[in-house]
Amino acid sequence: MLTCDHYLSPASLADALAAAAAAPDFRFVAGATDLLPWAREGRAGDVHVPVMIDVANIPELKEVRVAEGRVWLGAATPLQRFLDHVDLIGAMPGMPDCAIWFADSQIRESATIGGNIVNASPAADGIPPLLTANAVVELAALRAGAVRRRRMPLADFITGPGRTVAERDEIVVGIACDALNGYGGAFEKVGHRRSLVISTVCLSVVVRIGAEEALEDVRLAVGGVGPVPKRMTEIERALTGHPLTSDGLREVAGLCDGFVRSRSRQDYRKSVVPGFLRRGLVKAMRRAGASAAMGAIAEEVADD
Amino acid sequence: MTDMIVEATVNGRRQRRPAEPFQRALDFLRDELNLTGTKEGCGAGECGSCSIFVDGVLVKSCLVPVAKIAGRQVDTVEGLARSGEMTAVQKAFHKAGASQCGYCIPGMVMAATAALRANPDADREEIKERLGGNICRCTGYQKIFDAVEMARDVLNGKLSASIFDEVDATDGKYIGVNVRRIDAPSKVTGALRYAGDMTMADMLHVQVLRSPHPHARIVALDVTAAERMPGVEAVITSADVPGQDGFGVFVHDQPVMARGKVRYVGEAVAAVAAESLADARRALAAIRVEYAPLPAVFDPEAAMAAGAPVLHDYAPDNLVKHIPIRKGDVEQGLRDAELIVEQTYETQPVEHAYLETEAGLAYVDHDGVVTVHSPSQNITHHRHMMARILNLPINKVRMIMSPVGGGFGGKEDMIYQGMLALLAMKSRRPVRLVFTREESIASTAKRHPSRTTYRMGLTRSGRILASQISIIYDGGAYGLSTEGVVRKGAILGGGPYNIPNIQIDTYGIYTNNTPSGAFRSFGSLQSQFATESHLDICAERLGLDPFELRLKNAMHTGDLTHTKQPLRSSSMSEVLEAARKVSRWESGVPNVRGAVRTDLGGEGARQPCTLTPRLSSENAEAPTARRGAA
Ligand SMILES: Cc1cc2nc3c(=O)[nH]c(=O)nc-3n(C[C@H](O)[C@H](O)[C@H](O)COP(=O)(O)OP(=O)(O)OC[C@H]3O[C@@H](n4cnc5c(N)ncnc54)[C@H](O)[C@@H]3O)c2cc1C
Ligand code: FES
Ligand code: FES
Repeated sequence: MLTCDHYLSPASLADALAAAAAAPDFRFVAGATDLLPWAREGRAGDVHVPVMIDVANIPELKEVRVAEGRVWLGAATPLQRFLDHVDLIGAMPGMPDCAIWFADSQIRESATIGGNIVNASPAADGIPPLLTANAVVELAALRAGAVRRRRMPLADFITGPGRTVAERDEIVVGIACDALNGYGGAFEKVGHRRSLVISTVCLSVVVRIGAEEALEDVRLAVGGVGPVPKRMTEIERALTGHPLTSDGLREVAGLCDGFVRSRSRQDYRKSVVPGFLRRGLVKAMRRAGASAAMGAIAEEVADD
Repeated sequence: MTDMIVEATVNGRRQRRPAEPFQRALDFLRDELNLTGTKEGCGAGECGSCSIFVDGVLVKSCLVPVAKIAGRQVDTVEGLARSGEMTAVQKAFHKAGASQCGYCIPGMVMAATAALRANPDADREEIKERLGGNICRCTGYQKIFDAVEMARDVLNGKLSASIFDEVDATDGKYIGVNVRRIDAPSKVTGALRYAGDMTMADMLHVQVLRSPHPHARIVALDVTAAERMPGVEAVITSADVPGQDGFGVFVHDQPVMARGKVRYVGEAVAAVAAESLADARRALAAIRVEYAPLPAVFDPEAAMAAGAPVLHDYAPDNLVKHIPIRKGDVEQGLRDAELIVEQTYETQPVEHAYLETEAGLAYVDHDGVVTVHSPSQNITHHRHMMARILNLPINKVRMIMSPVGGGFGGKEDMIYQGMLALLAMKSRRPVRLVFTREESIASTAKRHPSRTTYRMGLTRSGRILASQISIIYDGGAYGLSTEGVVRKGAILGGGPYNIPNIQIDTYGIYTNNTPSGAFRSFGSLQSQFATESHLDICAERLGLDPFELRLKNAMHTGDLTHTKQPLRSSSMSEVLEAARKVSRWESGVPNVRGAVRTDLGGEGARQPCTLTPRLSSENAEAPTARRGAA
């Protein structure tokens, strides 16, 4: 069980950073959906943290903005917002499918996107869609009495399972990413049951279709298959710039094996990823407005 | 410890109470406000029995730090029917028969309420999805979905509310008649109190120290430091047992707490009663145990071999029980057979996973009667064992059966009741123990893993002439129900088939695994799995339809069972024929059916579920346009 002496709920970023600076030993908490199950028998067991600093009420961390081709997601944005915030649904087409597969609606109301990336699980569902949106993480810390802010790509922020470059007293303020209005998106996931499931494999696809149905922009990211979720850049390159052909699709599916670096169930994951790639592409292309003929190509291959 | 005060509006009333900063909303509601309708099933966000509304949003209160409800509106299941009148959802759960043990039901009612608030027209698929975070181990969900649909239709005006009051006609029939459960209202409103919901003034909280070793001698056990810790009222070990230590269903081989040695990972070694759970947990860390590991054995066949580590002195061959059955002449039957099929089948341990974990409350009353409340499926036997263990006359021991939040056989065993009684006697205060989900899984009995070796002799036309069956059950570290399980496995081991020559041997074996115990089907599931799998394999080898093979060998009225009891009635053939018809069985040998089966997915068959009804249509890009105020 998790015990603490003080639970602080600061109302501003400055207060939260000051509280962290004043506490000898503390832990940030947002939705607590990773933290509380972690402090249990079989995992961390009994954990005593003298001070808990709750960042979920800080207005700046709760802000969601979509403007000028960019999206700002405050770190304390609950996953459920990807299903009910109209601007986000338009600008982040890779997210609704991810959110509906993420735990259940009750957990999604508590679980935050910031907690998901700081927790940095290899199977975290929120990370692949953010990677396909070229997400940049903003961090804040108190240094020499002043607030130091810094930004870095999400891909550089996560360094391994459960590991990030965030310093102990650094708060993730939020995530900036591309607004992908006009794109089609999809998210494929497999786990042990419909709800409440950690991914064994997950894959995010966003696509924009250009003139003559060329795949103008294709972005793919895969999770659950290695120490950190990853963009599938080689495959993106092979698909971009021309219309989809069934041979082309079959060929890139063959490149999927190289991404599977998990320690367990490699064969299973290798057989799942290409299927997810094809199926995700079908859905994303349809949603991006591809013609029935294009959809049929992807579908033909999806049925292989 | 600190002076944290939580103010919140709970079920419409302003509340201002002290709280521990690390409490969860769940603890605050249950412990400070005594709103025990909100249940804890897993404590880890997985089961949904703790669902509450915070500012109208459904969340799992076991994952909500109490500080997060400060200044908020909180509604629990008790708040749904504040005036005493049940809501449409609650009435529908009662009418539809959507509660069995009832433990999941308050959370389920909350999730159903949230689903219909979010979309008053939700169809069954959407209801399923919105209830996806809530687990039930008893109902199979269909009655629950029926209830939510019924409530929806009444709220929509599509169905008259009078349906809730209609009494089902009985026409003098008993079978196939819907009977309303009289205890359902207490379940759907959260009023029913399970053992973990009970409290008494001055009550202490119990925690148990468990063995990290599968097999070890206890060289030293020192609890003095724990006894001196703040908040601690009593610490007990096997040295505190006044009477004859040992319980079980058939053999009384299990001490209340490990005596001299531990035999499995998770075995209780010592227990603490303290003012708070946190105090008790701290005290556990102060108990010193020195173990000398012993060789352990985890496979029952290895445990049967000469020279294997011995678990119990009384059973030098690690045998709990051997049941032999003999009928006819198996050797002759096999010699006469035209086909002999041999195969080995294994089954794994299975966790009961009842939503209510083991829990109990014990006290010594004004007359010195030691009283234990617990969800026990076997209290009279527990009472007899307890009197011997406590060295008390039986009229000084009282066992009260609390509502069982799922048992499935797993709550037949007396496991922690002895510890509770001892702590109540030592502290002279009421004590309560509630297992965590992890503790429940680690320390209590599972379904017996088994290894069945089958030898069957048949004629070419499919008559079974002889069966020779050996089943080895892994009993784990203690006997519990193993003897009964092994006996039942033997009696039913040959299956419901008329076999002239049969030889069955079942063995229950001690190993250093988690003890095995009773579980729905009580030993016969293991053998039935083997028998029915075996018949399918035989059908393949004989080129027969599996239904035909079974019909050819089914027992009929007048046949003798494997234990030579004459059957006065048997309708097995009729049942098989009826099943074949309604399942639209496509006849043929199991392995030669074509790629397309015609017997699947027909009329009346349940359709496969659609996984994301809210995002269903590929082109509908406004997944939540219908979302109302939750
Ligand atoms: C039943 C269940 C099902 C789940 N299903 C899924 C699933 O399907 N997919 C999935 O990806 N995850 C799942 N999870 C995991 C979890 O819900 C997510 O990872 C969630 O996003 C975590 O967010 P949180 O706000 O609850 O994190 P918290 O538990 O509050 O925090 C997690 C970690 O991040 C740190 N932290 C949080 N916010 C900040 C911040 N702003 N700055 C710095 N540090 C911070 C905390 O100190 C902590 O170390 C599930 C969890 C449960 C209990
Ligand atoms: S989800 Fe909270 S107790 Fe299981
Ligand atoms: S009725 Fe649902 S768990 Fe028993």
